[in-house]
Amino acid sequence: MKIIIAGAGEVGTHLAKMLSTENQDIILVDSDQARLDDLDSNYNLMTCQGSTSSFQTLRDIGVEECDLYIAVTPFETRNITSCAIAKKLGAKKTVGRIDNSEFLRDKNKQILKSIGVDYLIYPENLAALEINTALSHNWARYWGELHDGKLLLIGVKLHQDSDLLNLKIKDLPVKSHDFHIAAIKRNNETIIPTGNDEILHDDILYFITTSKYVNEVMTLCGKKKRVIKKIMIMGGSRIALRFARLFSNNYNIRIIDTNRDHCEYMATEFPECEIVHGDGLDIEVLRQNNIYQYDAFLAMTESSESNILSCLTAKDFGVCKTLADVENLQFFSQAENLNIGTIINKKLLASSHIFKLLLDADESSAKFLSLADADVAEVLVKPGAKITRHPVRDLKLPFGMTLAALTRNDEVMLISGNTEIQPGDSVVVFCLTGTFNKLEKWFN
Amino acid sequence: MRRNSVTNFFRHKSYINIRMLLRVIGWLLLVEACIMIIPCIAGLLYGERSTLQFLICIGITTGVAFGLMSLRPKSREMGKREAILLTGMTWVILSLFGMLPFLICHTHFTITDAFFETMSGFTTTGASVLNTLDNVPHSIILWRCICQWIGGLGIIIFTLAIIPMLNYAGGMQLFNAEVTGITHDKLRPRISSTAKGLWMVYIFLTIILMVLLTFSDMNLFESICYGLSTMSTGGFATSDMALNEWDSTYIKSVMVVFMFLGGVNFALLYKVAHGQFKGLLRNDALKAYLIIFAVAYIVFTLNIIYRGMVTEIEDVTIDPLFQAISILSSTGITEPDFNDWGPIAVIIMVIMMIMGACAGSTSGGAKIDRFIILVKFLGNEFYRMMHPSAIRTVVINGKGTPQPILLKPLAFLFLNVIFILVCSVGLLVCGLQLKDAFFCCLSAVSNTGLGTDMTGVSGNYNAVSDGAKWLLSFLMLTGRLEIYTVLLIFTPAFWKK
Repeated sequence: MKIIIAGAGEVGTHLAKMLSTENQDIILVDSDQARLDDLDSNYNLMTCQGSTSSFQTLRDIGVEECDLYIAVTPFETRNITSCAIAKKLGAKKTVGRIDNSEFLRDKNKQILKSIGVDYLIYPENLAALEINTALSHNWARYWGELHDGKLLLIGVKLHQDSDLLNLKIKDLPVKSHDFHIAAIKRNNETIIPTGNDEILHDDILYFITTSKYVNEVMTLCGKKKRVIKKIMIMGGSRIALRFARLFSNNYNIRIIDTNRDHCEYMATEFPECEIVHGDGLDIEVLRQNNIYQYDAFLAMTESSESNILSCLTAKDFGVCKTLADVENLQFFSQAENLNIGTIINKKLLASSHIFKLLLDADESSAKFLSLADADVAEVLVKPGAKITRHPVRDLKLPFGMTLAALTRNDEVMLISGNTEIQPGDSVVVFCLTGTFNKLEKWFN
Repeated sequence: MRRNSVTNFFRHKSYINIRMLLRVIGWLLLVEACIMIIPCIAGLLYGERSTLQFLICIGITTGVAFGLMSLRPKSREMGKREAILLTGMTWVILSLFGMLPFLICHTHFTITDAFFETMSGFTTTGASVLNTLDNVPHSIILWRCICQWIGGLGIIIFTLAIIPMLNYAGGMQLFNAEVTGITHDKLRPRISSTAKGLWMVYIFLTIILMVLLTFSDMNLFESICYGLSTMSTGGFATSDMALNEWDSTYIKSVMVVFMFLGGVNFALLYKVAHGQFKGLLRNDALKAYLIIFAVAYIVFTLNIIYRGMVTEIEDVTIDPLFQAISILSSTGITEPDFNDWGPIAVIIMVIMMIMGACAGSTSGGAKIDRFIILVKFLGNEFYRMMHPSAIRTVVINGKGTPQPILLKPLAFLFLNVIFILVCSVGLLVCGLQLKDAFFCCLSAVSNTGLGTDMTGVSGNYNAVSDGAKWLLSFLMLTGRLEIYTVLLIFTPAFWKK
């Protein structure tokens, strides 16, 4: 598949890197040569220096035969223009990044579609929705829903009070197949567990379960549900503002920001939120704002380091749920090991969203979620596939790959050793990075 | 418990992933073993004893290849360091196995000679230690030419095109380490398709050349061998007489055209093959290549006329043309009477040897592209002495060049000069005469393969000592990989964690 990515900003760069390892033809366009140089010499993709809304540039890189055109420059209007041009020049599908929620309304979407922007991607909006999910399921580290919430992927960090500690997976106190532990994240490693793997303190377990058994998983992990009402946000970034815009009716929000002008702007734009001018990294400021009364603390400044540290501080003050925006991918894994609740990353969210779009274009496989070094995919089983030949326990699947659940005739079920997979099922697979390309062998 | 887990990216980069390196080399050896089948078949057709011996070589190479391929690396990650090390190791190890046929089939070879001959082949230098080709089996002659042909565009690029395993970021770096030139054009987004594109052009041109050569007095075997060694601008011959056996204007004309094409950037040829002619007219390196070619021809011709050596029309038409392009493209086939052309011809030859042809071609030398930058840069410097406040950039192919890219070729040219001087001293120590030492060193670094007094212009290196042969082999490799890649491995910074 030929994919053109216009704009080598954070999202564009990340997408290009990810897709280039997935056997796709990637061309990355940006007007700034310096941004392209490193990518060009180190990744398996082609770069082109030029304006993203120039007919000449787009023709030069062969936009007429491209399957997906992704415009992710920081400028909304430029993205829309370049998508429109690309579409008219023959791109099959176009995706444009926007930062205006107006465009997301259905009737407006139609207008954009008519001028050539097929899909819209609004990373801040995705992040805001993700934050809301994390807050409403605050006992989990990660919460992902599939098939309209029938199938759930839940990541939980285990603390002292869990019943599961120091048990081997095969000895778990569960009846039949209520859930499936699909992956364990321990220190910097992701493990696809077998029956003999033991569950240790501070592991992050990834459960696949159906909505019926969520409460059981919660109790097993020794977690309790808390209702979150009062939220303190440090840093009035775009994600924070988007979150405030969407959910200011559901929560009491207080935003702390260091920039006075920005505070005044927020005060006029978001009258229902309390705005405080001050440095959220300053413990005195936090204390003055009664941080111990808050249910949740969101660290949303530009600096990933400050976000991580301030979340740790907030935990010390007894805030039950903290959430940090970590845009720096190098810190991602480190941050997961620390005792911060959920970590938000705009880039990962945006790229997994675009992966979903790829699913629409290319039916064979769909990676829809990227954990730090594991991928989750939903794959349609083709007739005669190797995987249908035996029950799961006799399949001898490669290490680093596990089958979690399947959907058959709109019915969701978890997979156990005795399950026999049939053609036409769509199967949720967990695999470590690097084993993803083996999927094809098993499912086609 | 850890066996089914992968390490996170924090763990990488702290060591060299040697298992992965060896595994990839295993793959490369397998490819080499497959290529050895071709001379083996040739031996079979000619009913030579060497067929069986070639089978032994194939067996050894395949065995080692499978041995290395069975290594299971802990991670498949390959960084810059691995890529550079792999490129260097690949050329050395493939030469070590490539010399097996010489050792096994042709008993006169010592290890030194065999290694020199193979390295000279792979790097398309074309210098030989064989005194005579008379008793050498056909399969060996073909193998020499195949070595040149594979090495011409690059062993690793060849592998990139056919082994999907390298089709990822690590492969990209291998590509960068092996392809000559300052910047590397990508033809297609994926590295394997780029490599395939380049090889298609190369194979296509080679086949046309072979077909054209069969129309001459050459037999099929000779056409194939000359096709392989000319397209790769290597210049191995099939007999002692080399081209003088035929002395045909037709053969020379065909070879002039294809040696010229061998010196053109293959990315450019690929684009032309796809109907994009725009870049052709705008390409400064190509223009300069043509101009230098023309100037060399004129100087050679005037020189011949001045010395009163004109006896027939070929002496001022095809002969100087052939000589000029043969040196410029680093093929290194010489006219029989070149020794009589005098010192001016030799000086022109030395200049052309240093220069080489366009970057991204099969030729050697420091590449015209870099000299264009140097000349334009110097032009700007002179201009700035008169107009100190003027801001000018070096314009290449109609585009301004940013400062950092500008410094690279200038540093390279400087390094090239120093490297040749230092290594000439090394050859002096090995017992060569001053003129010989300098000339052989230049000839090896530029992958031309010409010699002078002691070695003879046609380049027979049998007379030099063993030490000098090893040093020359090293020089050929360093020159082929454009100095940096090889020298980097010898810097302490490369090995520091």
